[in-house]
Amino acid sequence: MARLLEVNNLRTQFFTQDGVVNAVNGISYTLDEGETLGIVGESGCGKSVGVMSLIKLIPTPPGKIVEGSVIFNGENLIDMSDGEIRSVRGNKIGMIFQDPMTSLNPVLTIGRQIQEALELHMGMDKAQSKARAIELLELVGIPSAADRINDYPHQFSGGMRQRVMIAIGLSCNPQLLIADEPTTALDVTIQAQIVDLVKKLRDDLGMAIIWITHDLGVVAGLADRMLVMYAGMIVEEAPVKELYANPSHPYTVGLLGSLPRLDQVSGEKLDSIEGLPPDLIDLPKGCPFHARCKYRIEKCFTENPPLKTIGVGHKAACWIDVTKDPITTERPYQEV
Amino acid sequence: MLSYIVRRLLWLPFLLAIMIFITFWLGFYGPGSPEVVLLGQRYDPETAAVIKEQWGLNEPFALQYVKYVRNYVTLNFGESLTKYQGQPVARLLARRLPVTMELNAAAIALGVPLGIILGAIAATYHGRWQDRSIIFFTVLFRAVPSLVAGPVLLFVFAKQLKILPVGGWDGLFSASAILPVSILASGVVAGFARQTRANMLDVLSADYVRTARSKGLSEQMVMSRHVLQNALIPLVTILGLVLGSIVEGTLITETIFGIPGMGQLAFEAIGARDYPIIIAVTVLAAFIFALANLWADLFYGIIDPRIRQS
Repeated sequence: MARLLEVNNLRTQFFTQDGVVNAVNGISYTLDEGETLGIVGESGCGKSVGVMSLIKLIPTPPGKIVEGSVIFNGENLIDMSDGEIRSVRGNKIGMIFQDPMTSLNPVLTIGRQIQEALELHMGMDKAQSKARAIELLELVGIPSAADRINDYPHQFSGGMRQRVMIAIGLSCNPQLLIADEPTTALDVTIQAQIVDLVKKLRDDLGMAIIWITHDLGVVAGLADRMLVMYAGMIVEEAPVKELYANPSHPYTVGLLGSLPRLDQVSGEKLDSIEGLPPDLIDLPKGCPFHARCKYRIEKCFTENPPLKTIGVGHKAACWIDVTKDPITTERPYQEV
Repeated sequence: MLSYIVRRLLWLPFLLAIMIFITFWLGFYGPGSPEVVLLGQRYDPETAAVIKEQWGLNEPFALQYVKYVRNYVTLNFGESLTKYQGQPVARLLARRLPVTMELNAAAIALGVPLGIILGAIAATYHGRWQDRSIIFFTVLFRAVPSLVAGPVLLFVFAKQLKILPVGGWDGLFSASAILPVSILASGVVAGFARQTRANMLDVLSADYVRTARSKGLSEQMVMSRHVLQNALIPLVTILGLVLGSIVEGTLITETIFGIPGMGQLAFEAIGARDYPIIIAVTVLAAFIFALANLWADLFYGIIDPRIRQS
């Protein structure tokens, strides 16, 4: 598979009144054509800002991409002018967002909101874009699409709106679809429908996907590869099966441990990672996770471990080996 | 939607009856009675008694009120007691309302678009000098009352520079209209600019604006197609209020500039306790206000599909 995307040392900061927020701190990863990459991590760990930065969709000011490159199809998106990056957005790279209830414009028809991108990037006239919009709505499973195209978002349910968002994201046959927590705001049965829909569309259309979530269960059946982010850094990267089978960063271990299991004894408490993620304005010295880490050693307080290869396609940023090294403290958060 | 309009229109007579009741009640128990006001210097108890008898002023409040309402239904608003003694109030209103309407139409036609444009500029350049200067001037326009601005402008342009007339009214398209229209319009501009700015800043952070940007739309397209229409929706309410308050709005301006409109008539009538005029103007103002609000609600339906279809 050919390389589609190469992110090198991407660093995004927000310059606020309280100080510089280090939202994304030098992340690097790659994505092949047609590949699906899952990015997980808890809220505020830089997942969204990280992917928004790819197409320079962060509010500037206060946000700024201070370092790094994003090579997409051999071109650096970060160096592009506003006009150039706009011809990529919605065209070669489509996006879908978290909350379908607020992500569609309430005063424009569904059709208009899909047609907009088609007319802009594909040079279609109104009739062509309308025909294509109906086709897209059918593709994402909206019944009687030809009638519903003149409806407004408030006439659609949440799940239907997310389908419309997917239709918008896919309208110009993108090579890459970025999905920023597209199922978080939906209830569980609808979540499954949306995941299945995206899976089917990927198999039919062959686009690559970056799927952001904080729910490890959602991406398990969808992603080829996973990134785990913490405090704006990548702490672990692995093929999806490998990650679930051999989590190698204490944070990933904690995340997986906090998932409810079907074979769990009822009434048993779920594991949780105690404490809160570090303040992104004032990042701690050493490993960003040390304050919550059960495996930490002296070195973790002073030096941030690099992301190093530990298996085939498997990287982790940790000084210790969680499969061999012992737990050093049971209640890490209370000692710091 | 249609049944809603009908319902609102059916309410209108009740609303007006209530307005007549309140103003009539205030007039009835307020200082100065019609026969005293009418006779003025020529007052003598015998004539007063005759007038009171003739006009039914000795009858109880309820009966007088019912008669008054009955007269209003037949568009008989009574006669002026003072300056325009003997003239029917209806005819006075008919002559003066057009002047006030012209004055306000001009102020709104100038002020609303200008206010929206300035507000949109301020929002687009949020935090920069364009934004700051627009805020400064809108605050200034709001803060200085026409009671102060009127005489100051007259002093500068009429007395010192002598390029504009001191007052009077030669129609909308004459030099006499420039200052009063400017003063009325500046208030409208200030209100609309500030509200447009606030709404646009609000809408700019909406998720659907991010969606629009993610489609690759240019900033101008995002503004014109996605931000502006959403930002304008709440302005309809303000437009309704502005339209509704045209009589009060011109009270001071018309008086300062000597414009023969409703505002001036009301001002004179209040000073002279000319109750038939006071009540008629108040009820008319309430009627205009109610209509303007109804219009605003209907207009909401036109620009907001969520309301149109409910």
